Amino acid sequence: MSERITKEKQAEAQRLLEAAPATHLPAVSPRLLPEVPALTPEVNKQTPAVGQRVSRVDIRSHVTGATRYIDDLSFPGMLHCRILRSAHAHAKILSIDVGEARKMPGVVATLTGDEIPVNSFGSTYQDQPVLAADRVRYRGDGIVAIAAETEQQALEALAAVKVEYEPLPAVFDPLQAMEPDAPKIHRNSNVYTSKVIMRGDVEKGFEQSDRIFERRYTTQMIEHVPLEPFASIALWEPDGQLHLYSSNGRITLGRADLARTLGLPMNRIRLTATIIGGNFGGKNEIRTEPILALLAGKTGRPVKAVFTREEEFIASTTRHPLVMDYKTGVTSDGRLLARSVNLVLDGGAYASWSETTVGKASILAAGPYRIPNVRVEGHAVYTNKTVTGAMRGFGAPQVAFAYESQMDEIAHSLGMDPLEIRLLNGFEEGSASHTGQLLQAVALKDTLLMAAKRSGWMEGGR
Amino acid sequence: MKRPGRGIACMWYPIGFTVAANPSSAVVKVNEDGTATLLTGTVEVGQGSLTVLGQIAAQELGISADDVHVVSADTDTTPMDTGAIASRTTFVTGNAVRLAAAEAKSILFEVASEMLGVETEELEAADHKIRSKTFPDKQVALAEVAVRAQIVRGRPPLGSASFNPPTVAMDPETGQGKPFATYVYATQIAEVEVDDETGEVEVLRICAAHDSGTTINPALAEGQIEGGIAMGIGMALEEEILFDAEGGQVNPNLTNYLIPTSLDMPKIEVDIVQSYDPVGPFGAKGVGEPTLVPTMPAILNAIYDAVGVRIADLPATAEKILMAIKEKERAEVKQLGSA
Repeated sequence: MSERITKEKQAEAQRLLEAAPATHLPAVSPRLLPEVPALTPEVNKQTPAVGQRVSRVDIRSHVTGATRYIDDLSFPGMLHCRILRSAHAHAKILSIDVGEARKMPGVVATLTGDEIPVNSFGSTYQDQPVLAADRVRYRGDGIVAIAAETEQQALEALAAVKVEYEPLPAVFDPLQAMEPDAPKIHRNSNVYTSKVIMRGDVEKGFEQSDRIFERRYTTQMIEHVPLEPFASIALWEPDGQLHLYSSNGRITLGRADLARTLGLPMNRIRLTATIIGGNFGGKNEIRTEPILALLAGKTGRPVKAVFTREEEFIASTTRHPLVMDYKTGVTSDGRLLARSVNLVLDGGAYASWSETTVGKASILAAGPYRIPNVRVEGHAVYTNKTVTGAMRGFGAPQVAFAYESQMDEIAHSLGMDPLEIRLLNGFEEGSASHTGQLLQAVALKDTLLMAAKRSGWMEGGR
Repeated sequence: MKRPGRGIACMWYPIGFTVAANPSSAVVKVNEDGTATLLTGTVEVGQGSLTVLGQIAAQELGISADDVHVVSADTDTTPMDTGAIASRTTFVTGNAVRLAAAEAKSILFEVASEMLGVETEELEAADHKIRSKTFPDKQVALAEVAVRAQIVRGRPPLGSASFNPPTVAMDPETGQGKPFATYVYATQIAEVEVDDETGEVEVLRICAAHDSGTTINPALAEGQIEGGIAMGIGMALEEEILFDAEGGQVNPNLTNYLIPTSLDMPKIEVDIVQSYDPVGPFGAKGVGEPTLVPTMPAILNAIYDAVGVRIADLPATAEKILMAIKEKERAEVKQLGSA
């Protein structure tokens, strides 16, 4: 009987598909979408495989909604977790009272920072608490986690938590945070990581230059906005192994961080990342996983947490805002002789991926140009703002905005075509980078000429 | 009045990351029917990495993409990987996959060598077969070799390998060294229209030429470039997290934090420049992050070309552009007055 219905449904689905033009699938997909051949079956089956426009292995399930993200997963008895976040950008925590919250309907367990075996994490410096216990350094710091039967009950119980703060002076501007008398966020200095690149003699280069161009460029704080917010589920397997499903893009590091914060041997932790709905760098470290693991341990039940869109903004990482001072010396015929760059990265309240970002930004800051004299200095600075960390480009988009804006300004000022000045100065096969690396497979000028050809640049040239 | 402008910007971008080693490992198992299973610890984050890694394994084994099943992202069942970060998956994980597939292939070659009477160095895997390089008619189906390796010779064809990009530590004082194994390059040219009465910018067309070494999958590379440009347009013109005086975010929602939608997308024309990296798998480098890097300056330079103002503070909102235009007009009037 059921087999016959299935066949009928399949026939119906097939009829619907065939009735519709290939590009117009029914608005609501039939419950049993029959296997139809991929759009380009021959490509996926062809050899050689490299260079083929192979269709993605997951494209069918993405398009039909069959892909299972963390929020689509559920386990028997699963609880839902919500986290109370700081009311202040910088404050001492005097007391945390969860007594009333525990009595709220549906609440099964609460967790505070002092219950976490090692309450710190971070990809380079472990300066960030999993849950803030004695001090908050930005508004996204979590303080109390609540596991309840429903997400709504957990949310309502957060309002019953009482936290007493003693506000501290805060600093939000990275340049102000570098001043000696600025409020200190972690240590004696808010500057927590620096990088210097030096090649040739930049002062001599400026002396030899016919023209000097100087400008300050600044960029903004940006959120990754993945379609899927950060999500995680913790459960303890019957054999005593902790199993985490998490939208984490770096499971090797994630497991190491979990082992450290929880004080567990690594072989007792299994971290499974599902297919992730967008990362762009924002899911490269642990967030709620240790909290859920401990709540699951306390309650003996699986615990899930999915960030709201607001939490994704305030409690995940973001792109570093940069203050960039560029000074470039050129000859009157457009050759770059010297460039000095000073970068200040707004690092937010915790280090996260700032060291890598300062490094990449500094290495790339002078641009893909042959410049005999270069000096770059980059600093990341703590502020009482949202944590800045890994994001697509790691400082490169910011410095490219600066060096390419300045190249344009130089070209216009010297009466040169912006394409011409780039071809004149650009890296070539075998050029030395600003760190003295001899470059190979350098396709810079090919890309310049190809884009110019495609756009009709020469035809519309000034 | 709407004024047209165009701007050019290029960039360089490294593959992999500095500060620490960033290795990847992979395991490749060839099944008795000539299909294969690949185990990788990297995570698919939407970019299509599993498809590309499958293609690399398939290429090394001489089979098709559909013949490789990829298992990923589980610390218990998949080998170590530094992760989906730093545009490193194709280059670093791809190299580990290629090396693991080569190890499995070497077992197949030893078995095929006996079957064909051809030295292993003389063999190649292509088109689902193992054959002599010089006399391609001397060939045997890969599936036949795989099943023989396992049930006759008792040597299941599997391989595991690791790869770490070759770098040289940077001098802490001068920053001299080789922080990355390789770099990619790109140029984008933006065409815009700027309304000089409102400051509003419309991006009409972007021509994007990107180098990523050998392109493993052109369709996925184009997808990355188009997605990166969308992100770049947001950074150039509208996206910004704003704070109040107490350090609270003012716009932590998609009503007040605007990102480009499909309606904001310009016409995008992608050219992929082929180059060959001697270290990359089959000459490949990477494509993920660099895609948005030239977008902002290309648009900002086009704005200058259109209305003659330089916005040095992103995002270049309509308000900022309009204020800069008015400032410029005032300065020009002053100049006329003093002349």
